Order: sequence, then structure tokens, then C-alpha cells
Amino acid sequence: MNEKEQNQLFQQLMEQHKGILFKIARTYCQDEEDRQDIIQEMMIQIWQSLHKYNDKFKISTWLYRISLNVAISFYRKDAVRIGNRTALNEHFSQIQESETTEKEQQMKLLELFINKLNDLDKALILLYLEDKSHAEISEILGISASNASTKVGRIKDKLKQYFTT
Amino acid sequence: MDEMTLKKLWQSSTEQLELSLAIGKKNAAEITKIKVQTILFSMKPIKIFSILAGILWVGFVDVLMINLFQVANPFFLISAGIQVILTKLAIGIYLYQLILIHQVDMSGPILEIQEKLARLKSSTLWVARFLFLQLPVWTTFYWNESMLSSSNFLLYIIQGIVTLSFTVIAVWLFLNINYENRDKKWFRLIFNGTEWQPVIKSMELLHQIDHYKMNTRD
Repeated sequence: MNEKEQNQLFQQLMEQHKGILFKIARTYCQDEEDRQDIIQEMMIQIWQSLHKYNDKFKISTWLYRISLNVAISFYRKDAVRIGNRTALNEHFSQIQESETTEKEQQMKLLELFINKLNDLDKALILLYLEDKSHAEISEILGISASNASTKVGRIKDKLKQYFTT
Repeated sequence: MDEMTLKKLWQSSTEQLELSLAIGKKNAAEITKIKVQTILFSMKPIKIFSILAGILWVGFVDVLMINLFQVANPFFLISAGIQVILTKLAIGIYLYQLILIHQVDMSGPILEIQEKLARLKSSTLWVARFLFLQLPVWTTFYWNESMLSSSNFLLYIIQGIVTLSFTVIAVWLFLNINYENRDKKWFRLIFNGTEWQPVIKSMELLHQIDHYKMNTRD
């Protein structure tokens, strides 16, 4: 793959799968500035790893792995981050606060639940909510499918308990 | 709330938020152009600097010891020897970290990569342990025969107390600087700076990974 093709592929990937990056950033960061930084870090890692992409994995699996690895090892504002930063601000508009509906309240509850989880469980619940199969969860996390199933079962129980109390 | 409703809630909320996110072609194109250092590789310069400074120091002390071997007093030679060995071990840890940095492939499975990264960061604690272990030799390198044969008991007592207390503190810190003591006051006092935050967090993550693996075997 020459440089031009790589650039095109990267831009295409970002256009098609930007949602993955955003959902992960949202799961791991509450702060808007941190989210911008983390998304940019994910993009950089994806760009730098593009030549190593192994097509035995689905592209989404590969993207989830990189983005989750970046999110978990990201040390927010206390981290020293070096390098040129492009301004995502102008493209990254804040969500307007709308009236709080029941749906929004439930979403806030869900976010509260996720915030309390440790970094690995956050990855697990994100993949579960994204409706990933146990096989795909196991590929992304690096555990067996049966263990992925057990862990998803446990997190579902916790979730159920949380929403019923 | 049932499973389907929960997933729908998540999906609809993320779709709504996604609409507000525009990683435009401009951003993607900019990423491909800029020369950046990622979080991981930003760790490299300080490690390379530490290795070079360490090698210079170790080289200097080694040359000094070789040249003065016949004339220097044995206390100096033994103290400097211990200090140099411990510094060499610290340099070895930094080298190990540089190798690990090059081996990390962020597209690998989460547990495997996070374990590598966490081990990489938490191994920095070993450097601190070795540096503390050097404490006693800084109280012995200036000893000489005339000092010991002076029969000055006050000097013996003061020197003995200083060296003994430094030894006890050094050994105690060497044995106790570990994850289990992370919440202790003395630990927080030593590793208070922001540069230690990633190290402490990586230790916590290692603990999570171990727990995850343990559950995996259930």
C-alpha cells in the first residue's frame, strides 16, 4: 500500500467508524477536553498501526482494540502529552442540554453505572451494549469466548440489580 | 429495564451524540501529516536521557575504581562498587522498558497489551527501590583506616547510628515499596508527584488484570 492509498484508507475508516472512537471516549472520559485529546490519540494510533492491519480480524475488531487500548492507558490531565495537536474543537460541538425526559434520566443512570466500573469492565459493558457477539468480545479483550460469556452474564446481573434498586 | 430496552437506549443516545461529532476529512488528513509523539513514545526521551546519564556516571565511577584500585581505601572501593552495581540494575530496567515500548502493538488484545503497558510503567518502581537501596553506601564511602583507629567513640557512635539507620530505612523501603502499600501515608508521601500517577494507576490496572485472569480460571 503506497502512502496515498494509506491516506485514503485512513480517511475512509475515520468517516465510516468514527462512532467507535466517540463511544469509547465517552465511556472513559467525562471531560470534554479529555475526550477530544483521547479521540485524537486514537486517530494517531490507528494511523500509525494501519500498515500492520491483519485482515484475519474484522476492521471493527481492530479499531475497537486500538481505541480501547488507548482509552485505558490514557492518563487524562495529569499525563504529559507531547506532540502537535490539531484542533478538534471547531468540529466537536457540545451537545445542547435539552429537557430532562425519562429516557434521559435512564441514560444518566446508565452512565453513572458505567462510571463506577473499573477500566476492564467498562470495555466489557461497552461491547455488550454495542451488541457484540461473545466471540467478538473475546477477540477484542483477549479472553476465551466462554469466559467472555461468563463475564457478560455477571455484568448483566449487576446492571439488572442496579436498575431494579 | 430489559436487555433490549437498555441496548436501544444506549444506541439511540450514542447516535444522537454522534451527529454532533464531526471528525471531518480535514482532521483525518491532518493526522496523516503531522509528526507526532504518542503517549507511549513520549516516554522514550526521558528513559534514553536516564540511560545515557546513568552510563556516564557508571563509566566515571568504574574508571575511578580501576585507576585507584591499588591506592584507594577498601571502604571507598566497596561502597562505590555497590553503588555502581545498583545503578547498573536501574539502567537495565530502563533498557527493558525501552524494549517493551518497541514491542507494544496497540492493535493487540486488550488484556495482553494492557498487561504489557502496566508492567512497563510499574517497573519504574524498581528503579526507586534500587535508588533507595544505595542510601547506606553514601554514609560509608569516606571511611578510612585512620578514622577507625582514632578511638573517637563519639565519632563511632554518630557514624554507627547514621549508617545503621540508613541501612534499616533502605532495606525496609526496598521490601515495602509495592502495590499492597500504595494507600499507606508514607507511600503517598514518597510517590506524591504527578509523574508517579501513571505508575500507581498501572499498578491498579495490573491488579484488575490479575483479578480478571483469576476469574477467567473459575
